[in-house]
Amino acid sequence: MKNSRNILDETPFQTAGPFLHIGCMPNKIKINNLYKNDLGEVPFKNKNEIEMITVEGSVFDGNGIALDDVMLETWQCDENGQFFEDNGFARFIPDKSTKKFKLLTVKPGQVENLDGKNQSPHICLSISSRGLNMTLNTRIYFEGDDLINDPILSMIKNDKVNIDSLVAKKIKKNVYVFDVFLQGDKETVFFDM
Amino acid sequence: MNVKSLVKRNYKKQPEIDFPDYKSSIFRAPKNKKISIPSNLEIFGPIFNKKTIGELDNDLTLNFSKNKNSPLGHKIIVHGTVSDQFSNPIKGALIEIWQANAAGKYLHQDDKNPAPIDPNFSGCGRSLTSSDGSYEFLTIQPGPYPYPNRGIEWRPMHIHFSIFGESFGQRLITQMYFEGDPLINICPMVNSIADEKAKKSLVGKLDTSRSNIQNILAYKFDIVLRGVKQTFFENRQEGL
Ligand SMILES: [Fe+2]
Repeated sequence: MKNSRNILDETPFQTAGPFLHIGCMPNKIKINNLYKNDLGEVPFKNKNEIEMITVEGSVFDGNGIALDDVMLETWQCDENGQFFEDNGFARFIPDKSTKKFKLLTVKPGQVENLDGKNQSPHICLSISSRGLNMTLNTRIYFEGDDLINDPILSMIKNDKVNIDSLVAKKIKKNVYVFDVFLQGDKETVFFDM
Repeated sequence: MNVKSLVKRNYKKQPEIDFPDYKSSIFRAPKNKKISIPSNLEIFGPIFNKKTIGELDNDLTLNFSKNKNSPLGHKIIVHGTVSDQFSNPIKGALIEIWQANAAGKYLHQDDKNPAPIDPNFSGCGRSLTSSDGSYEFLTIQPGPYPYPNRGIEWRPMHIHFSIFGESFGQRLITQMYFEGDPLINICPMVNSIADEKAKKSLVGKLDTSRSNIQNILAYKFDIVLRGVKQTFFENRQEGL
């Protein structure tokens, strides 16, 4: 057992800045002859036989402007609630003209909480950009799922938190909208976990 | 039953999110307090395959050079280890870096700094840590550069780092600075961190022992990701 007094400090964050594409998705900015593919272009390989869902939306700043210089990263289990080391991760940015991001993925299954209760299907989402001194973490839950009995959502719902901001709205079959609000009345719930 | 959890983050050692001296944060930093929840899915995370990493991915002096021409500026080695808060080395951690060239210019259409692009330098690199948690990059000393903030201000020389450990909850994005740079102490992004020791931990140390062996200036930058704790739980009975 290691002594807890010897615990090191975590290295501090600094902003990812406006040029994160160079390091994280060079092909997206036409630095083409370096990496064959950008990492996280698709969250799951070989899932053609499964119905996919689309999660789309924008990231808004405090002026209500949809940002196009943010990077979003998602981490999730597969449709059966299973984790795979080389699957389940995606990385994407909003489109320069529409300012919308689009994630094509499988709808995650339920995963077990520590106490054996099932957590409602969700996708972990992190957001990094210029102006954010630390990466932000939130979760995408899905309209139509049982959110009342979810152990995390029921744990935090007393805190007058904007639970609604964590739920992707279903607009048609297999298509969900999830907008992120960095500030304002609709400010998204961000987690420390 | 052994259950893994992440060490709680100590926000006193982290930058202030809402820090108006850094103007871009004014309309982007969330105003509400973060909601604390137990880590669950975040204990796991993507593991990146060695095969996806090319041989020159950690050599920025060659990975974009045309006809073996060197980029301008002086070569540096940037190396160190990635460990968790319990000093356990993390192997297979993915480190991605990006930086300006010797003139302080990024190869990016949004960089409005009127400095020259270097046709032999992309400023992009990546590496997976070895079994002892170590990593190494060969690159060029990045130049400082001006940017609009409260008027024009200057960024100290720096390299951007993105790191994936074993858990999504260990995810870290940061910047390494260079020992002795007078711009460090007046940089609002650096000063968004109140804790002096935490601030200093972002400064790569000149490593003369390494420099002397290879004839290239070397800097050492060690990275600490959140610790993953193992806690033993009595198996609970159904319904309790
Ligand atoms: Fe930078």
